[in-house]
Amino acid sequence: MRGDTRTDRTELRAEPRPPAGRAGFRQAIGHEWIKFTSVRSTLWTAVAAGTVTALGAVFVALSESLQPDDTVLGGSLTLAVVGQMLAAVFGVLVVSGEYASGTIRTTLTACPRRGTVVAAKTTLVASVLYAVGLISCTAAYLLGDALLPSGTYAQGEPLPALFGAAASFAVSGLLGLAIGLLVRHSAGAVTAAVAVLLLPSLLGPLFGDFQGWVAGVSPTAALEKVIQTSDAGAEVVGSLGAGASLLLVAGYTVGVLLVAGTAFRLRDVH
Amino acid sequence: MAAAAEPDRRPRHRPPLVATGRLRSPPAASRAGPGRGTSWGVVLDSRWRMAGAAGASSFGSMIEARELTKRYGDHVAVDRLTFHVKPGRVTGFLGPNGAGKTTTMRLILGLDAPTSGGVTVGGVPYSGLPSPLRTVGSLLGAGEVHGGRSAQRHLLGLAVSNGIARDRVDEVLELVGLPADTARRRVRGFSLGMGQRLGIAAALLGDPEVLILDEPVNGLDTEGIRWMRDLLKSLAAQGRTVFLSSHLMSEMELTADHLIVVGRGRLLADTTMRDFIETHSQGHVLVRTPEPEGLRSLVEGRGARWRPEPRGGWRVEGLSADVIGDLARRHGHAIHELTPRHSSLEDVYTELAQPAARYRARPEKEVAR
Repeated sequence: MRGDTRTDRTELRAEPRPPAGRAGFRQAIGHEWIKFTSVRSTLWTAVAAGTVTALGAVFVALSESLQPDDTVLGGSLTLAVVGQMLAAVFGVLVVSGEYASGTIRTTLTACPRRGTVVAAKTTLVASVLYAVGLISCTAAYLLGDALLPSGTYAQGEPLPALFGAAASFAVSGLLGLAIGLLVRHSAGAVTAAVAVLLLPSLLGPLFGDFQGWVAGVSPTAALEKVIQTSDAGAEVVGSLGAGASLLLVAGYTVGVLLVAGTAFRLRDVH
Repeated sequence: MAAAAEPDRRPRHRPPLVATGRLRSPPAASRAGPGRGTSWGVVLDSRWRMAGAAGASSFGSMIEARELTKRYGDHVAVDRLTFHVKPGRVTGFLGPNGAGKTTTMRLILGLDAPTSGGVTVGGVPYSGLPSPLRTVGSLLGAGEVHGGRSAQRHLLGLAVSNGIARDRVDEVLELVGLPADTARRRVRGFSLGMGQRLGIAAALLGDPEVLILDEPVNGLDTEGIRWMRDLLKSLAAQGRTVFLSSHLMSEMELTADHLIVVGRGRLLADTTMRDFIETHSQGHVLVRTPEPEGLRSLVEGRGARWRPEPRGGWRVEGLSADVIGDLARRHGHAIHELTPRHSSLEDVYTELAQPAARYRARPEKEVAR
């Protein structure tokens, strides 16, 4: 078909056909998923978070490095703390990688409603990391249970601890996402996220009697309590229970994420 | 809404838009296979047009800036800029580096928030567009793809983000001449020209009514520049709105029908290409003659300027070709060439916008309304 240009032009003005489809939340999640799976940095960070956690159980079992008062669950998940750190890095990269490459401008021209973009990234980070955390922590527990000599250590209670560990992966990732939204540069944001996870337990002893309060509020401490490791004594990370600790961390993560989302909505994108 | 005020704006079936015959696909696309890339109508098929309500806020204008202002601290990047970009023609956006062109485009796309004033696309702010890529295609420099991602996945992500059919990805890849095997490679290895073609593919993905392109010919070779020019003209001929910036004046002169010129964030001119050149140019006549001295005294006797042209011949400013020809005949001077000339866009633009001091000296005169 070959149309006359002039006819096309007049018809063009006469025709109000609304655009089909929209750029809403569902579409934004689809976009985020394709971005996540099509770049090495995010994909492999997520894979690494899971792998470290699962292989950690093998390492701990083979090196027989468990304390006598440790549980099978806690010992198997020793390296979940490292996996959790990688989860935070993943959260950072989901946003800072876009700033580094300029993709953030493409993302925002495709979906200019920034709250929707933040919501989509939040959903992606939380669900990917929950899945990674649940699968890898379960695998770690099963590996540890199989490899550790039976009867030597207390078993620990894997349920609902494994779900809690998965949740702590997701929460750490969201904390990373929030830091990424605020800092915007990969190196700075990764450093900040790792510092948030590590510093409370490093600096805790400096606070004397308040050590439990300082070290206990970190996402790492919440994970340690959840997996019932012998490192998570009340004198080190406070007497708050595992569930309460996790809720506390989730609570302030939501707070930081709201602040970061607001900053993201207000700031210009360069 | 506004549609009610325009009785003609009723839904009506219309055959899909097809490109004019002079369009060609780029070589890579035509090599893609027999029978492919022959009809741009397939590729540029418009399944929808702008909603009447959205397009009708001010008749005929798709992009409207009102007193648009952007300050970064003390620096005023865009200063009370008011302009309209209309459909059906290519509008060039000119200005020296730092004049606020890219900032203006970012303001249109909602990436930056204006300090005051506002800008709408199709009557609504960009962020109010339900499916922005289907209304506005944009290109802001080529570096907006993650280097580790393939072109195909990049476009697929954008298609998904706006509910655009996945088939469209292959269509636009073919349209811009990126072969399928190239599109599956990481963007990091792309040349500047390939990156630019990918950017254009992304801009055309949603079959948009409005195109906003910042330096689209950057990095393209001669063939690519020609292809881009034909593409932009054909898109405008289909009734779309094409708004592009370029620092290549000769290219802009060939492509744009209308000009918006800015300097230091302010509007210097908003006029048609022809008016802009004719209003601001010093017309002159190129004269070749074997007897320059005799003719020179005659011409200068009439108060005109006589100057040598770098490429041979003489440049006469202040007399028309007719008068010079009559003078030469009356006094028996031989003339080998007599060519009336207008300044090029580049001449005019350089005169108008380049030295800040000059346009400051005559601010009002340049704003053609």
